[in-house]
Amino acid sequence: MAQNGGNPVMPGGGPQGPAPVAGVPPAGGPYLAARDIVFAYGRGTPVLNGLVMEVGRGRLVNILGPNGSGKTTLLRVLVGLLRPSAGEIRLAGLRLGDYPRAALARRIAYVPQDTHSALGFTVLETVLMGRSPHTGALGFETSGDWLAAREALRMTDTEPFAERGLDELSGGERQRVVIARALAQTPELILLDEPTAFLDIKHQHAIYGLLRRLVRERGMTVVCVSHDLNLAAAYGDDLILLDAGRVAAAGNPEQVLRPEILSPVYDTPVEVRTDETTGRPYVLPRPPGRLGDRAR
Amino acid sequence: MRVSVFHLVLLAGLAAIGATGCTDAAPSATPGAEGKPLRILSLTPNVTEILFAMGLGDRVVGRSNYCTYPPEAASVPAVGDTLQLNLQEVIRLQPTIAFLITRRTEVPRRLEGLGVRTVPLESDRMDQMLQAIRTIGLETGRADAAQALLARLRADLEAVRGRVAGLPRAKVLFAFPMTVGSARIMVAGRGTFVDDLLGVAGAENAYPEAADWPSIGPQQVVALAPQVVIINATGEDAPPDRAEAIRRAWDSLPSVPAVAAGRVHVLTEAYLTIPGPRIGQAARLLAETIHPDVKGSGALRLKAPDPLAAPQERKP
Amino acid sequence: MRVRPFTSRGYLVSLLVGLGAWGVVAAVAVGIGGRLWAWESAAQMRDALNLRLEAVLTASVVGAALALAGLAFQALLRNPLAEPYILGVSGGAGLGFILSYLFLSIFWAPLLGFAGALATVAIVYTVAQRRGRIEPYTLLLSGVILNAFYGAAIMLLTALVSPAKRGDIAVWMMGNIGAFGPQWELVGVVGAMAVGAAALFAVLAKGFNLVAVGEDAAGAMGVNVGRLRIVTFAAASLVTGASVTLAGPIGFVGLICPHLLRMVLGPDHRRLVPAALFFGAAFLVLADLAACLWEGAGNRALPVGVLTAMCGGPFFIYLLRTRWRRTAEIQ
Repeated sequence: MAQNGGNPVMPGGGPQGPAPVAGVPPAGGPYLAARDIVFAYGRGTPVLNGLVMEVGRGRLVNILGPNGSGKTTLLRVLVGLLRPSAGEIRLAGLRLGDYPRAALARRIAYVPQDTHSALGFTVLETVLMGRSPHTGALGFETSGDWLAAREALRMTDTEPFAERGLDELSGGERQRVVIARALAQTPELILLDEPTAFLDIKHQHAIYGLLRRLVRERGMTVVCVSHDLNLAAAYGDDLILLDAGRVAAAGNPEQVLRPEILSPVYDTPVEVRTDETTGRPYVLPRPPGRLGDRAR
Repeated sequence: MRVSVFHLVLLAGLAAIGATGCTDAAPSATPGAEGKPLRILSLTPNVTEILFAMGLGDRVVGRSNYCTYPPEAASVPAVGDTLQLNLQEVIRLQPTIAFLITRRTEVPRRLEGLGVRTVPLESDRMDQMLQAIRTIGLETGRADAAQALLARLRADLEAVRGRVAGLPRAKVLFAFPMTVGSARIMVAGRGTFVDDLLGVAGAENAYPEAADWPSIGPQQVVALAPQVVIINATGEDAPPDRAEAIRRAWDSLPSVPAVAAGRVHVLTEAYLTIPGPRIGQAARLLAETIHPDVKGSGALRLKAPDPLAAPQERKP
Repeated sequence: MRVRPFTSRGYLVSLLVGLGAWGVVAAVAVGIGGRLWAWESAAQMRDALNLRLEAVLTASVVGAALALAGLAFQALLRNPLAEPYILGVSGGAGLGFILSYLFLSIFWAPLLGFAGALATVAIVYTVAQRRGRIEPYTLLLSGVILNAFYGAAIMLLTALVSPAKRGDIAVWMMGNIGAFGPQWELVGVVGAMAVGAAALFAVLAKGFNLVAVGEDAAGAMGVNVGRLRIVTFAAASLVTGASVTLAGPIGFVGLICPHLLRMVLGPDHRRLVPAALFFGAAFLVLADLAACLWEGAGNRALPVGVLTAMCGGPFFIYLLRTRWRRTAEIQ
């Protein structure tokens, strides 16, 4: 369950205390919590400006927002790649900085947006790299490591090209391999940065279906930055909407995807309807001008 | 008698013959011979030494940067060297004749272009150097001084030869110190001036081939197996700690007979490799080093005192 | 090529195989180079053996050091064309060495060599960095410019000294295995540094793999990328400076060896690091042997640095043409 601070829109409950939702109630506090995060690249204006958010265990959470709202930066701060100038992040109650790097890497996996496929590693080698936090100093692999890697390949349906080079694959296949690498880490929490950015509709839904299975069947927590409101709405348990480095709204899709919330954030009029088949909301942008104009 | 046309023509003919005869007299005009002031430019150190030894030191108006012996030469203005010649300075000094040893043909051409008679010399071998002395004598009109110097030098060399005549000829390697980072040393090959000196000093060059100054590695030294090794360490290589380092380096080759017998000698005298008036001293030093029992035997005293010992007066 | 598990037993086996292969190459080089069967006296054979042993060990430690440094630079800079000579690191070490040789005593040479190498790495890294990422084109360009600068500086210095010294420096700049006079201590030091670098890079090899795929992902998998960079660059430049002090600047070993190894072993740095140690050593031993045989056949001496440059130049061009386009696509 997600909560926010400093914003009048509340998820179904009062300012104090989370509203009960289906899923695992956080025991002793939220699983992942960020408080008053301030971060700026260099001396410029801060990209994250007093951000507060919480993520419950075993949820599929989507982070949305317009370009430049700080989504990728937030993710990198949550992983620990960037250190905020103010505020703190807690994972299962402990501060992020208190975890040794390797221990953190065993619990959190990160799937970035760009993959440098350099120097010709094969798919299997790439996925095996996900075992790095678990292998020793010199990187020796055990049979357990190979089992985890094979399992990750199976889950992402990438076993057929295990021996092929990463550069030979299509964008969608490469994305699944990178997710497989994250899965090979056997993490509790996966953070993904726009995993479906360059994929066609079939693969977009395949990826999100996989993410939802991971949450439902394996009890993982997935935090996913997304640009696609409807995809997020169709699959996400919770949505967090960012605007200019702060949380503008947080809650389940019905609570967040409302015209009065979305229009000011995206600076464009929208309409929200409900998909009869899934029961989930979907967003129709209505920018000014004559829509439906056809060329004659 | 009446001067007839015939007499005039005869006179003109004789005058013409006389004139051509004059211009053919020497290969080119010798300034000293005609009484013109002799202003000598010397661009090579051993040539400078020879000039001073011949008593021409006061006539030397310009020298190269490296002409530092005898000490009186230091007061002569320096004009650079055969690589970088300060032509302004040369023009200012107004030399009438220049002597140099170089393979670079543009330097004599340049000097000739300035109107300076340039005489290239050679001194790669002993006899070439002796011939050079003779040439200098001719060119400067001091053939007698040249003869005197040649006689002195020949006598010195004969003295050394005589003393070592009956002794066994040792296999000697004449080398320069090793340089940093290189695995090779420069040694005197056969057919060089130093090789000639070794011959006079009663030695056989351990390096068997005719070569200018070949570089050889330690493995080759082991193969050559010299009985005596002479290292000529001059300049910065001269200090005692350098000599120690050189000896230590050679100690790492115990199979070389010279090393085993302790016959690796480090000599710091620079004149060993200068083909000039000090070859007598050079031959004597080599002979004493190679044949130790020859040392202090009195019979090796040179016939005449060191020709360069008397200070020369310089006239402006 | 099938991917095989990377196990401790496999590692041990590969270490032994590598050591054995290098041992064979070294023994052959000592024997053939010294023509050990051809000497008349045992004392001469012993001297030749000593000389060849020292040359072969020098070539081994220098080759190993340069191959490891090249591998490390290529991993961290994510550029297959990076190597100590091309980046100007060897040039910086060379300038430091020459400065101390000409104006201080030779005692300072190792220190100034290291300083030159480190300073160069710092400059190259700072110039080629933008927003925390290394730009490969800028990197190579800065290496080219630094090499040009060092070349000019060395020429200026040589113009100030006597012609004899000028010749010495010119000879040294071509790279030389072996010296007249034993330098076992220096060989030992460089050898220890090469082995130390190999051990260090073996531990960092996982990090090299991860960084090759992406610095963000590497950081998220527990690699301290900033510290990895500093430690690797420092170690690579130190070991380069040491080998330049010992044998002069020898180029292209750090380029050729890692690439040949990658063609056979693949891109996994866990396997490449120990292989680079032994293969780099064997590579330069063979180059030195080739130069030795060339000379023995009656030709003029061929400095090892000239030989590696003659092989490395065409190899570099080949790499440019085949890998450059891929690198451009990747970055």
